[in-house]
Amino acid sequence: MKMLLFFLRLFIWFSLRNMRRHMGRAATVLFGIALGAAVFTSVRLSVNASLDSFSKSMDLIAGQADHVLTRPGGYVPENLMATLLNQEIMQSASPVMSTYTRVSQADAEPFLLIGFDPILDRPMRQWRVDDQSGQQGAAWLDLLKEPYTLILGKPLAHQLKLAPGDSLILEHARQKVRFKISGMLEPNGLALAESGRIAITDIATFQEFTGLFGKVDRIDLKLVSSATSKDLAAVEQLLPEGIQLNPPTATRESGQMMIRAYQLNLSILSFASLFVGMFLVYSLVALNAASRRHELAVLRATGASAYHIFFIFLAEGAFLGIVGWLVAIPLGHILIKYLLHGVSQTISTLFVRVQVDALSLSVYEIVFSFFVTVGISVLAAYQPAREAMQVPPKEALEISQLGMQARISPRQLAFGGLGCILLVVPLSKLPAILGMPLPGYLAIFLLFVGFALLAPWALVKISHILSSILLKRFGIPAYLAGRYVRDSGTRTAVSVGALITAVALFTALVIMIFSFRQTVAYWTYETIKGDLFLTSKMGQINRFRYPVPQPVIDHLQNYRSQVDLLPNRQFFLTYDKFPYVFELMDMQGYMQYASFFWLKGDPDKIRPMLKGGEGVVVSEVFSNRTGLSVGDFFEAQIEESYVKLQILGIVRDYRTQGGAVFYSLPHFNKRYHPVYWGGLRFFFKDRSQDLDAAVARLRTDIIDRLGDRVDMYSGKGLRGAVLRIFDETFAVTTVLLLIALLIAGLGIATTLSVLVLQRSRQLNTLFALGASFRQIRSMIFWEAAFLVVIGELAGVICGFILSYLLIYVVNRQSFGWTFIYAVDWDALLLSIPLIIITALAAALPAVKMVFRRPPATLLRER
Amino acid sequence: MTDESSRTVISAKGLTRTYQLGDSEVIGISQIDLDIAAGELVVLKGNSGSGKSTLLSLLAGLDRPTGGELMVARHDLNHASDIQLTQFRRQVVGMVFQSFNLLPTLNALENVCLPALLAGKSLVETRPKAMELLRWLEIEDRLHHLPAQLSGGEMQRTAIARALINDPAIILADEPTGNLDSRNGQIVMDLLAELNRKWNRTVLIATHSTLADQMASVRMGLKDGMITSFA
Ligand SMILES: Nc1ncnc2c1ncn2[C@@H]1O[C@H](COP(=O)(O)OP(=O)(O)O)[C@@H](O)[C@H]1O
Ligand SMILES: [Mg+2]
Repeated sequence: MKMLLFFLRLFIWFSLRNMRRHMGRAATVLFGIALGAAVFTSVRLSVNASLDSFSKSMDLIAGQADHVLTRPGGYVPENLMATLLNQEIMQSASPVMSTYTRVSQADAEPFLLIGFDPILDRPMRQWRVDDQSGQQGAAWLDLLKEPYTLILGKPLAHQLKLAPGDSLILEHARQKVRFKISGMLEPNGLALAESGRIAITDIATFQEFTGLFGKVDRIDLKLVSSATSKDLAAVEQLLPEGIQLNPPTATRESGQMMIRAYQLNLSILSFASLFVGMFLVYSLVALNAASRRHELAVLRATGASAYHIFFIFLAEGAFLGIVGWLVAIPLGHILIKYLLHGVSQTISTLFVRVQVDALSLSVYEIVFSFFVTVGISVLAAYQPAREAMQVPPKEALEISQLGMQARISPRQLAFGGLGCILLVVPLSKLPAILGMPLPGYLAIFLLFVGFALLAPWALVKISHILSSILLKRFGIPAYLAGRYVRDSGTRTAVSVGALITAVALFTALVIMIFSFRQTVAYWTYETIKGDLFLTSKMGQINRFRYPVPQPVIDHLQNYRSQVDLLPNRQFFLTYDKFPYVFELMDMQGYMQYASFFWLKGDPDKIRPMLKGGEGVVVSEVFSNRTGLSVGDFFEAQIEESYVKLQILGIVRDYRTQGGAVFYSLPHFNKRYHPVYWGGLRFFFKDRSQDLDAAVARLRTDIIDRLGDRVDMYSGKGLRGAVLRIFDETFAVTTVLLLIALLIAGLGIATTLSVLVLQRSRQLNTLFALGASFRQIRSMIFWEAAFLVVIGELAGVICGFILSYLLIYVVNRQSFGWTFIYAVDWDALLLSIPLIIITALAAALPAVKMVFRRPPATLLRER
Repeated sequence: MTDESSRTVISAKGLTRTYQLGDSEVIGISQIDLDIAAGELVVLKGNSGSGKSTLLSLLAGLDRPTGGELMVARHDLNHASDIQLTQFRRQVVGMVFQSFNLLPTLNALENVCLPALLAGKSLVETRPKAMELLRWLEIEDRLHHLPAQLSGGEMQRTAIARALINDPAIILADEPTGNLDSRNGQIVMDLLAELNRKWNRTVLIATHSTLADQMASVRMGLKDGMITSFA
């Protein structure tokens, strides 16, 4: 206790007062680290909010069930219930259906409608009708007694401004129907799923509404506690072909897995900001240690031990971390507002639908962010603290010093750096660990470290080469600047390191995003062909689980003379928890108008085989995730059929769900079982006409004849939407990137100011020797130019390597896809000079600072 | 232990400190034999570069010899660990420097208290003593001033108070008047002499000023790292 008090006092006297003296410097660093911490924490919290909301919804909807019966891609026959309830081990069983539907009015938001038997479901899910909203008991009895009644979640009712007794018209694939509201759900249990945007109805009503008579999505089971795995196996024996018995967690886990992978990627990206902030802490603490060397010697001479010194500097790091973290709270508050929306949007479009309305603040995340922030700050302070503790107490004396102590030479550092960079090669070849590209991330870290270590050597070499040219062309200030940069070696390396990191990150992400976008644009253009797409109402959000109604199909035949109609059907399945879509399509017609984006296999050979239904093509993601490649067999249970088909080729595919497998629809019908059409695409036979106008005409005609019974998207609109989603997804990334650059800019500003301050005596001596203000300022400017240009150059080189790692290692391992490497030269050529100018602008305070105090007073100080 | 040896507080045999500079070896001090009894006032004279600071740094436990033996107040300084050296600096010696070496972020009082705090004493027990010292040195009205706000003479007196706070047996002063005008130089020298006479401290002053010549009980000359005279 006494010890702690003493230490605190020492820290306040020695460090804190010094920081207060140089408030600007400390504030800049604090702001940098705070920004890093804010980004890191708010990104994690935002993804967590989505993850939590997803998991919670899944849990609430799954309820108490310990097993679930489903048929992959299809429905479970309802008459299984009788068999199931007869089983001794069955405590309860409840058939469930759910779908997204919406109120029939312009831009109404979809919500989840759940259908079950209110009596059978009692033991499964917790839900209660609000007492005030209807007589308890009566409301749910109404569901059974009266067709087309439903109970709304309170938030949904409030959003719709509806109350019990009111009615509303809901629309779905087959029809629009008027429902009566018999009550509202108390806000707990099931009513909390999807942030309360749910409604429940009786299963019979649900079936009538959707036209799925005798079928249910799944049957939730609860077994008696004495049930053994043998009993379970016996039940499985009774099930018809294709019906699977699984624990209810399976779907949840696959969703969580994807969100977690996304979280890891964003965390790493946001960690870059914190990493750049770490450079800032390092540079400040190192400056303090270096510029106060004499004071340290005095402290030692008056009785401080080396460990006192060591801990003072670690404490400086910790202090910056703690205060930075505190400052991060209000910053994060602002950021999170933006991120929460962006992230949940991205997750909804990329992975699984999530409804986020609140932030869940977990103690774990807060403690985690605190320790990461303080941890890296302390880590950043470690090296300067070690150096500080080695200051010999003897330096307190005026010893007629001749030489300087040898430091680690830039050459040695360069060798270390080269070693780090070389390690990147084998690391990038390692497989992912637990589905996460950890070796890839380690490779990236080593790449940064390697380049930062190379920086001093590069500075020495380049300024050496340039010095004579500088002297001749730009005069003595440029020459002196070059010399200074050469001799300062390791001191300037830190800020150059920070700049390299930020520029590399910038370059790499610009390249990656551009490659990604180009590839996706090409893929969209080549494969999402079709002039008009048609699905049943709300087909997209309900994953095409409802057929295009027969009258619609019948009517569409009338257009056969002008258009080719290509039916398709998608099944959303999982392969060892990895979700993918199995798509049946009219290969013949498709390949007449569009083409796959081939990656592996000979297209000329594969095309006829695909048309002949001899096998499937799979997406790159599917292949990477499952390990299946050309020649292997794709096997899956699809509705009642067990499908086994050879993989003919691998294609690029960037659909949001990840994996995809394509097969010929007519051949599936022949070989396995007939399937309904989930959607259609139209191609106009006459390609020379004004296609936009033709599409518009066709669209109006269909609406005129059929009414508002289907969803239609023009091919152009769809392709545009894909790219828009893409851009929205990367908006978050771009913001993170800009913040990292901002922090690096702060780094440059501090380092240069520090370099000036450290040398005020020298600069004043120069002044005394006859240098003009102009010359000295120009010298400082040249120094800045040197550091910035070299940092930028190294950063760009590092960035190119990094972009390769990101595209071919990290993306491949965490998402399963790669892109065609493409460099956005326009953006790079435009932004690189911009960064240089900005960085030089960051040097201005330093240039201004040179003679803020009159030269004479400086000469007297030591 | 004989009476004679117990009175000896500093004893050196063949004491040497050389520096490696690239391939060449620079001599700081070389083969110094020395015996100084408790209570002496030693004045160390010599040109710049003759090795005065080097010798003092060894005696103060700020540095280690490269050869020879060195015992100071029964501490064997060439075999002491870093921790023992730190302890030694806290308890046995007080240093006064040419450029005062006050910590710029600490006020006068805090600077004086610091060595006691480092030695593990509390501020409450240290303060009265520090005040007393500062009063004796006639700078009690400057307690809460930072070094930058003090004059050279005031700074050096504060530094002397700091050197005394832990009651060291030995005071080592390296050019204590080097940065002072002659009046303040005289005051500082008188104070050091008073410490020796009244308080019975062993005092070593390295200087090339003549101010201390008359008060010395031992005069020692150094040249090129070796003793040229001892009287
Ligand atoms: N760290 C060092 N490296 C090299 N030579 C040193 C070092 N410290 C002192 N010297 C040399 O030792 C000799 C004695 O110096 P010093 O003790 O400072 O003399 P004084 O205090 O009498 O002026 C000088 O030649 C000086 O150059
Ligand atoms: Mg000297």
